Amino acid sequence: MPTTFLDPAALMRIKSLELRAKVVVEGLWKGMHRSPYHGFSVEFSEYRAYVQGDDPRYIDWKVLARSDRTYIKKFEDETNLRCQLVIDHSKSMNFGSLGYTKADYAATLAATLASFLMKQGDAAGLTTFADGIEEHLPPRNRPGHLRRIISELERPAKAAGTSLALSVGQLAELLRKRGMICLITDLLAPVEHLEKQLALLSAMGHDLVLFHLMDRAEIDFNFEKSAHFRDAETGVERFVDPQLVRENYLKRLQAHRDTIQAATDRHNVEYHFCPTDQPLEEVLFDFLSARQRKKASKSAAARVAG
Amino acid sequence: MSWLFPIYLAGAAAIIAPILLHLRRRPPQDRVEFSTLMFLDASTPVPVSKRRLENWLLLLLRCLALILLALMFARPFLQSESATASSADQATMILLDRSASMRRDDLWKRALAEAERLFKAAKITDRIAVAVYDRELTPVWTFEEDRNTPANRVAALQSRLAALAPTWNGTQLDRALIAAVPSFDARTAKLKKRIHLITDLQEGTHLDALRTIAWPAELTLNVHRLEPATNDNYSMALAARDEEGSADALIRVRLSNTRDSALRDFTLAWDKAPQTDSITAQLPPGAARILNAPPNSTNATTLNLTGDKYDFDNRLFIAPPQPRAVRIHFLGDEATRDEAAAPLYYLARALQPTATLAPVLTAGKALPAQKPDMVVISGTTPAVGAHASLRDFVSAGGFLVEVATSSADAALLQTLTGIPGITVKDGDGNDDYRMLADVKIEHPLLKPFGDPKLRDFTKLRFWKHRQIEVKEAGSKIETLACFDNGQSAILSARIGKGTLIVLASGWHPGDSQLALSTKFVPLLYGWLAAAGFSHDPAATLLVGETLPLDAAAEHTISGPDGKSQNLKVGETFTTTEIGLYKVQSASHTQVFAVNLPPDEGRVLPLAAQKLAEYGIKLSGGADSGAGGETTDERLTATDTEQRQQSWWYILLMLLAVLLLETWIAGRTRQNTLASA
Repeated sequence: MPTTFLDPAALMRIKSLELRAKVVVEGLWKGMHRSPYHGFSVEFSEYRAYVQGDDPRYIDWKVLARSDRTYIKKFEDETNLRCQLVIDHSKSMNFGSLGYTKADYAATLAATLASFLMKQGDAAGLTTFADGIEEHLPPRNRPGHLRRIISELERPAKAAGTSLALSVGQLAELLRKRGMICLITDLLAPVEHLEKQLALLSAMGHDLVLFHLMDRAEIDFNFEKSAHFRDAETGVERFVDPQLVRENYLKRLQAHRDTIQAATDRHNVEYHFCPTDQPLEEVLFDFLSARQRKKASKSAAARVAG
Repeated sequence: MSWLFPIYLAGAAAIIAPILLHLRRRPPQDRVEFSTLMFLDASTPVPVSKRRLENWLLLLLRCLALILLALMFARPFLQSESATASSADQATMILLDRSASMRRDDLWKRALAEAERLFKAAKITDRIAVAVYDRELTPVWTFEEDRNTPANRVAALQSRLAALAPTWNGTQLDRALIAAVPSFDARTAKLKKRIHLITDLQEGTHLDALRTIAWPAELTLNVHRLEPATNDNYSMALAARDEEGSADALIRVRLSNTRDSALRDFTLAWDKAPQTDSITAQLPPGAARILNAPPNSTNATTLNLTGDKYDFDNRLFIAPPQPRAVRIHFLGDEATRDEAAAPLYYLARALQPTATLAPVLTAGKALPAQKPDMVVISGTTPAVGAHASLRDFVSAGGFLVEVATSSADAALLQTLTGIPGITVKDGDGNDDYRMLADVKIEHPLLKPFGDPKLRDFTKLRFWKHRQIEVKEAGSKIETLACFDNGQSAILSARIGKGTLIVLASGWHPGDSQLALSTKFVPLLYGWLAAAGFSHDPAATLLVGETLPLDAAAEHTISGPDGKSQNLKVGETFTTTEIGLYKVQSASHTQVFAVNLPPDEGRVLPLAAQKLAEYGIKLSGGADSGAGGETTDERLTATDTEQRQQSWWYILLMLLAVLLLETWIAGRTRQNTLASA
């Protein structure tokens, strides 16, 4: 584990998201000796009778020549790990007290993860959501796919509210294949409905990782002056004296986090709490360490992606 | 510290505004974009603690600026102790208008009540004087009396005022005020001087003489105006009286209606005249008309105007025609009265009674026992024995006309004039006629010929005349007219108190055309008028004027109220009432009509400000006297304030405060921006 990490504020000053991801991944890569994942080569799965509408590319011409029957050759997945990065693009993510927003941090985190995974030969996809799915890139590991992911990440958020439950529900329909789902969000929404969807995803065999981003100002609520606080998502304003409400705020925030913690525990979701002033390498390192621990705890036959 | 306009101090309350602004400026200013409010309480307590004053230094300066502004407008000044002390006691003169217009409504009663209120409100240390005025000032209670008996002032004043009533005089406020000013004597020098004028202050008030005086600076005038129920009024004055006629003298009256009056119809009638003889017509507001009086069938002396509410100016008194009897004695043959060639024939026909004169002609060979006023000698020469009596007659004031007919008349003339060098002889006897030349029309005896219409003597021809030569006469005998050959035609001489007129030619056709010409009657009446046998009946007198009496005689005067008064020689009589005054003297009786001054009928209110145009220092007209600052005190305060000019310093302070405020505010803003 590297003894010094790159300060997130310094990192965020790098304009290019691609470069930012590269910096983090490179730093991490150097400290690693071996990949935690072992990839497979392309492997034949089965034949299936051709039906109209199938791509003729996949017709096994040799079998056709031999038996005069049209079969479709089906292959196993191209990669051993299909990681879908799910990014919260709601307005609340645009809050940031450190000179960069949670959205910046989330984008960098996502880019770093994608870059890291693709570098070791896994497939990465991207889904952005707010009050519903906005963009969806299926997991691939092709040259240029990382660039697509990064350019998608660089697009500014547009939607207003967060509907985590709805978005996750839609996502469950989109992801037919099992894989890893990295949910990067600030989770500023009621958790109850989310829990149901998480349970669904978990039941579908997905490996769920939840990155819970929070700004330092949100965690500590260390405002001093009274002001009109404006909800970034709903636009509702309320006049608040921070000195007076701070205690209550922290209490309720803690309760919220506890609920999340409990829910993730129940559904075997890997939960990472990420204050945005935490170095990205550390987050990444924690993530990888956790995966290794998980892997070790499971049986040898258990694979991250099936 | 005193204030000229203390009401502006209320403006200092405006400091509430900056205090409130400073209190509520802060909270709504900051806005924090936050990711979510889901962890914040729905009912966040209102942050009371934030309601503290921010930028208290700025607030202080802003409040100070507002207070200074209010102070500046309130115009503070320091009143010295002496000024305050001296203003304590007052010398007040109450002037009551008692002119005829105060007879309207209950104006006089209200004037008395107002005066009573004023002198009752006065302190015992104040000096009070009361006077009434109409055409002149009449003191009722002087400062001297007030100094001597201040204790029973109220009772004394009440009883004295109760005895007064409005007169029939006009309003000469100027004379009253000029007379009132000196009554503030040296003993009142240290007191605050003030005149309370209680009046209806009508338009007809005379003010012109006020221009002749400089109003004392320390004396102020309070006008207490009394308003009648209405100012609508008709007034009437005599415009002209045609004296040529006799009994049916044409009388023209001037009627006027007040501006904005609601009155339209009026009726003009003689006293007790039948309905048919009245004039009923309309007079629009503000208009004046001159119209002929209706026929006076009842020989009334009062013309009445009806149609308005106030009748004090609705009566016009016209003195009845009163011709004076003049006894004229013709010294000659009475039998010739009906002979067309005789001088008496023409004299009797020329002397017809007029509106002013009623000649009574007698004729005889000798002077009658009762001395006539005028003696005419023509065609005869009195006996030498009668010369002395004739001279006595003339010397005692008689009027003698002598027509020289023969050289024998010279002796009479010598006796009468005492000049021995008078000779009379027949004039040049040729057949040519003579005309008059060098007529001294400016001479009193020839006054009628002052009229250019009567001055043409070219048609007057003299066939026959006597040549009268006067030697060593000095200035005793005057030649009034000459013939065109240079010889005297008319001579006159003053003998004792009487007058002698000598004609060189007679008026009968045997001598000349004089009696047949248009000149004869005017000549005769001119002589009579010059001899004092006439009076000016037109003498329409106004109330307050002196009756034109003969200073050398005793008179008995009966006024309109029926009271009679005997006047000794040299005494004068001033009229006080409207109506007819009958003046009896030893020789004759005369009736004078005395009317209201026409200006008194102009009852529209006059702006009190008009008085200020004459330099009078006015104080507030409707001031209540008791309680509150009087305008007079305010004027003094204004002077003091203008002397001290304190507001100027306050203005400088205000500017300094504002500059400081601007600087501090600018700096605070910079700090805020820098910290942001």
